[in-house]
Amino acid sequence: MPPFLFWFFALMTLGFGAGVIINRSPIGSALSLVLSFIGLSTLFLSLNAYFISVIQVLVYAGAVMVLFLFIIMLLDLRAEERRKINVVAFAGGAAVALALFVQVYRIIGALGAARQAFPPLRSGNTDDVRRVGLLLFANYNLPFQIVGVLVLVATIGVIVLSKRELR
Amino acid sequence: MDMNYLELLKLASPEAIVVATALAVLAVGLTSKNAPVLCSTVGVLGLILAAAEVFMLPFNATLFHGMLVISPLASLFKVICLTLAFFTVILARSDRSSRHHGEYLALLLLATIGLMLLVGSEELLMIFIGLELTGLALYVMTAFDKTDIRSAEAGLKYFLFGSTASAFTLFGLSLVYGMCATTGLAAIAQKLVAQPLSPLLAAGIVMTLIGFAFKIAAAPFHLWAPDAYQGAPVSSAAFIASGSKVASFVVLGKIVLVGFGPAHGSAAWHAMVAGWMPVLAVLAALSIVLGNLVALAQSNVRRLLAYSAVAHAGYTLLGLVAGGREGFSATLFYTTVYAFTLVGAFGVVALVRRETGGDDFVNFSALWSRSPLLAGCMAIFMLSLAGLPPLAGFFGKFYLFSAAMRAGENHGLLWLVALALFGSLISLYYYLIILKVIFSEPALSEVERGHQNLEHPGQPRGRLREGGDFLQRTTVAVLAIAVLFFGILPGALLARIIAALP
Repeated sequence: MPPFLFWFFALMTLGFGAGVIINRSPIGSALSLVLSFIGLSTLFLSLNAYFISVIQVLVYAGAVMVLFLFIIMLLDLRAEERRKINVVAFAGGAAVALALFVQVYRIIGALGAARQAFPPLRSGNTDDVRRVGLLLFANYNLPFQIVGVLVLVATIGVIVLSKRELR
Repeated sequence: MDMNYLELLKLASPEAIVVATALAVLAVGLTSKNAPVLCSTVGVLGLILAAAEVFMLPFNATLFHGMLVISPLASLFKVICLTLAFFTVILARSDRSSRHHGEYLALLLLATIGLMLLVGSEELLMIFIGLELTGLALYVMTAFDKTDIRSAEAGLKYFLFGSTASAFTLFGLSLVYGMCATTGLAAIAQKLVAQPLSPLLAAGIVMTLIGFAFKIAAAPFHLWAPDAYQGAPVSSAAFIASGSKVASFVVLGKIVLVGFGPAHGSAAWHAMVAGWMPVLAVLAALSIVLGNLVALAQSNVRRLLAYSAVAHAGYTLLGLVAGGREGFSATLFYTTVYAFTLVGAFGVVALVRRETGGDDFVNFSALWSRSPLLAGCMAIFMLSLAGLPPLAGFFGKFYLFSAAMRAGENHGLLWLVALALFGSLISLYYYLIILKVIFSEPALSEVERGHQNLEHPGQPRGRLREGGDFLQRTTVAVLAIAVLFFGILPGALLARIIAALP
């Protein structure tokens, strides 16, 4: 991966990560987290960890965050948006965070290992997606298909139970 | 591993047929104007076809290290589960409230697939997926009646208890997997032979058993049962009490006797040894005492059946505590007979409820004068549950108790048998109360009945209508005859079960 792409996605991960805390609206926070996860999954991609990268998007960005969004929208959380920022608490929190950062920086700086150049990563040639796929479609074929039936049950159940009855 | 999709399809063809039937029923339900009749017909045909396909399977086969096992035992119980689903489909037609009949039957069929997989699997992963598939479909079926708030309550309770129990099972199974590094039951047994009962293994076994105790509604994990039996649509309750229970007992038996076999311990009086046997013995004792005593205080037939189901789960566990071929066959015979009896009893409840709008004792009063057929069938079911000869329930209990008596040296399980006999004695009282209400109480006056009918105005009063629900009546009568038949000739079923056990 070219360095500028790495920087782009790293900044995206961090920037939207910060957005999760800074955003006043819960929905904005949740969407920032989704974007942060997508940046993270791209970083995994650059390390040849394809499987983790895909799972990161599917499970976290796809399933878990959508669930969060549903809950936020269902509960209609507005209190957070209306709350005013307490300046004293904000300043105190910032001071603590800064102190912690300086501490960690100094401790890591004191360690010998931190001064050495980072060893180059072994290029992973493990064909992980392929291996998982082979296992899923050969050894675990039957459970895999039955899970499909299970999802069908859940779909029918949700539709039937959530539909409003016309009288 | 070499695998052949065609072979998989061939060995799983009964399940595949039921899946296809479920999809067909779903499609018919959405498109057809005359949905209830057509859906039931398609469903019934699919179930018959699947049962016929079970007989076409090879005698013995195993796929994916035990994920799908074809054996005489699996085939026998697949047919039994399909038969129970068959009767439930017919009974479901009398549920007026279910507006989405296609979806309801599709869920019922999909739950049946879960039961068939449970019965035909000797591998933890498949067993867990089967449990979830059945459970998920049953939760929805319990909450299906949207016109009745109690149905929603029952569904929610069943779902919350059920998902907690599933979490326990999964935790337990993963601990066992962690210790044995395999998910096949036979392989687990081989690993456990060499291992002493470590605390980790004990935790795994207990957590697994908690999940199953929930499934079979054994005390103290029975709290969902009264509400589910009372609030769910009648056919859902019948299926929860019959099909789900039979499959759970088959798979519980396989897990403890095959998988956890070496860690059995002992439940003998004054000679308890840690293992799964004492755990099951405690569950059985609690269920027998609690179920029977609480059932005494009920005034609703379905709630009474729920508490008596707790007690019956206790009796049925006796066979597993006794262990061995004899104990397991007694458990399987009893749970099968019990399932057929309960489907019949719920059939009577469904018909009475349809007529009078309720299922309290009041609604059953003088059923004898309104419908001698239903009253007679209910008498057979109740007396069989109480365990009177010559009905099937008597022989079921007889085999269970004698297996428990003979198990171990020195009649160690005598305490449990004595408790079970005492429980049966109590149960006779409340079953007879139902019969007293049906046979000797005077009929409700027209005024009272009118009051009962306020909930469901426009329904005919007086005599139960003889037309319209002919099929349901026939089903109930057939089930009553079956209970009588298995009482007179218990060997017809028992010999098959014993021959099917390895």
